[in-house]
Amino acid sequence: MTEMVKKQTGVQINMAMRKTAAKRPVKISSKIKPWLFLLPTILIIVFWMLKPLIQTLMYTLYDWNMLPGTMPEFTGLSNFTELFNAPEFGSAILNTFYYILMMLPFAVILPVIIAALLQNLKPRTQWIYRALIFLPMIMPPVATATVFQWLLHQTNGLVNHLLVSAGFLENGINFFQTEGLARLMIALITGWKMIGFATLMFSAAISNVSPEYYEAAKMDGSGGFRRFIDITVPLLSPTMMLMIMMSILFASQWTFSYIDVLTQGGPYGTSTNIYYLIYKYAFGNSNVGVSAAAALVFLVIFGIIALVLQKISNRLAFYDN
Amino acid sequence: MKLKKILTMGLSLSLLAGIAAGCQSVAAGDTTANTSGQAGTAADASQADASGDVTWSENLLDPENPVTVKFYSYSYASPAFGTGFQTMMDNFNNGVGKEKGVILEFVADDTGTKAETDVKAGQQVDIVQAYFAGIDGDRDTLGISAFEDVFPQEELDAHFEGIPENCLNLGKVDDKMYGLAFTFSTPMLYINGDLLEQAGIDPTQAPADWDELYDWCVQIKEATGKYGLALSPSNSTGWVTDSILYSNGAKVLNDDRTAVEFASEKGIQAFETWKKFYTDGVAVGGTDTEAMQAFASGEAAMHIQSTSVYTSFVSAAETAGWTLYGYPMPGFNGQASVPTNSGSAIVVRPDSEQKAQAIWEVIKYVTGDEGYTIITSEIGYLPLRPYLAEDENYLKDFVDANPIIAANIERLADVQPATIWPGDHAAELTTLYADMSTKALTTDADVAQTLQEYQDQMNQYIQQ
Repeated sequence: MTEMVKKQTGVQINMAMRKTAAKRPVKISSKIKPWLFLLPTILIIVFWMLKPLIQTLMYTLYDWNMLPGTMPEFTGLSNFTELFNAPEFGSAILNTFYYILMMLPFAVILPVIIAALLQNLKPRTQWIYRALIFLPMIMPPVATATVFQWLLHQTNGLVNHLLVSAGFLENGINFFQTEGLARLMIALITGWKMIGFATLMFSAAISNVSPEYYEAAKMDGSGGFRRFIDITVPLLSPTMMLMIMMSILFASQWTFSYIDVLTQGGPYGTSTNIYYLIYKYAFGNSNVGVSAAAALVFLVIFGIIALVLQKISNRLAFYDN
Repeated sequence: MKLKKILTMGLSLSLLAGIAAGCQSVAAGDTTANTSGQAGTAADASQADASGDVTWSENLLDPENPVTVKFYSYSYASPAFGTGFQTMMDNFNNGVGKEKGVILEFVADDTGTKAETDVKAGQQVDIVQAYFAGIDGDRDTLGISAFEDVFPQEELDAHFEGIPENCLNLGKVDDKMYGLAFTFSTPMLYINGDLLEQAGIDPTQAPADWDELYDWCVQIKEATGKYGLALSPSNSTGWVTDSILYSNGAKVLNDDRTAVEFASEKGIQAFETWKKFYTDGVAVGGTDTEAMQAFASGEAAMHIQSTSVYTSFVSAAETAGWTLYGYPMPGFNGQASVPTNSGSAIVVRPDSEQKAQAIWEVIKYVTGDEGYTIITSEIGYLPLRPYLAEDENYLKDFVDANPIIAANIERLADVQPATIWPGDHAAELTTLYADMSTKALTTDADVAQTLQEYQDQMNQYIQQ
């Protein structure tokens, strides 16, 4: 009896082992498969993002002009000293934040209002307005910059011509060579360019808000403004947070083309930002070490901002589940 | 779990491999890198005799297997100049190029960054049309060679015959020619004759000096409502600023190029005279392009610029129906101005003796009699060889018909080199010099204080 039990148990164990053996390849392949799917993306990220990032970190410690055949010279932290002592660095940092602040009305406030107003129009009119507002977004940045260069030209531009003809000014203003104005113009042009995209995002978000909320609020006697503040705004908060994050993180990138075409950072470095500075150090001054140091500063500052925004976003955004 | 570990290890290894590759590229040092930080060039490839002079023992060019020379040019990228350069390229390739075995290929590079990025990407870049201000910096950033280090001295001597000595000095750094003057001009004062006549001024006479120029501008503004003068405070690389400072007896760099000294009494005085034009609203500034547009559209009566835009102004005047006049830029206190050079130099980076020979054939053509006849007659730049202006086979007819070119050629003998900024920080110094002019001239800032601040900043860079 005991032997029979032993035999039976042995058989069971063997069967269990066979089962396990039969299952193992299935398990391994099911574990490998997702990684195989991810592998091309991981390799691309490693090759195109992590490797250049680490190279950039190393370049911060070298003095090199990128000329093939030349030896980078190890200089320790002197690139950071040079960067922090550079006269344009302070204004570049301040301007970076200036552009961020100036982007917020164009990325959030105005688009939310426009999207809310469009919501009450007939579908066909809505479609026409949305298309018109989105139009600047599809214009190439360099073409946009050139159009504004013509419009705002000191002697031949339409804007100055109107201002002088109307008697507001005796002489035309040089918008892109006047301290303060150059920066403002770049911010306004960038804002004008991105307002369409933000409006489209908010329009899409508003159309997802259930009309039942508005109907219920109406029945309770609330007015249009009240409904906007109490229903629309809270339900748009995830999109608002997304747009805030995008405008903060990409304001430098979006202003780059206009700085390059219209002012080259001038007059006397008052319209430059950290992004343009990185480019100028690398490709204007051929100083890859200082450029990498500026890039690292940019990465650290914006990395922290991105993390903070992520935390805030989780707290503030309200999702209608 | 094991699989995760294996994959994590694999990822880490691939990352490390990436880092290693990065380290390798950072540490990659070619043994041919020479002391000035240049890549292995023909300076290494060419043979030098006991005296250090380069010698070419044999002709390495073969018409059956032509060598391509890539010439990066901002003029070629310009719609106004491009056709002249195209003509030069076609003539060379169908003539001497075919005969010797060299193909000239212009590469449009409107901002000069393409040459730099292509050099850094390891592409073939043989000749670059470079601004004078950055030549010293180009030794490091482009890896250019001195002409004496890559071409035989007897070839240089034979080709440079007929070129004024001071023009050959325009692109010299540390007593070596790193740039050969190519397309350049002295500062010329263009005049819209009709606007001057409306203001009661005779446009057939040039203003005696900057004080008279100011009086004219005030008169023009009052009579016509247009600006008297269009002049960019930063004026491209600052070559007009140099000329204005030199004309009042000031210096930009000291003799051994170790410090800037424009914040001198004479320098401040020149800037204060110039600033009055903007503060009183009788001159328009902006960028060079904006100033040119203001003059061409008839919004400004006079304009200081190189003759490179001469043909554009001729057609603007013809279209709008006004008469164009041109004179050398005035000086101070009734004296003639000290002319500097605008424009560009040819810089070279051959990587072998064969390429050096091919490049030399291109240079001989584009800076020779035929090349300069095209450059002057089709664009308006100065001919580096003044004798061409008197030769009926070349430029005599053109110069006779265009007196502004003759006035420019007359100044050739007096031309002083526009500033070539010290190499290590040439780009930063060029920017600061332009910023200094803009801030001192177009804002309420005190001239003396602004010049001093920028002088100190620039000297900090030079002494680093």
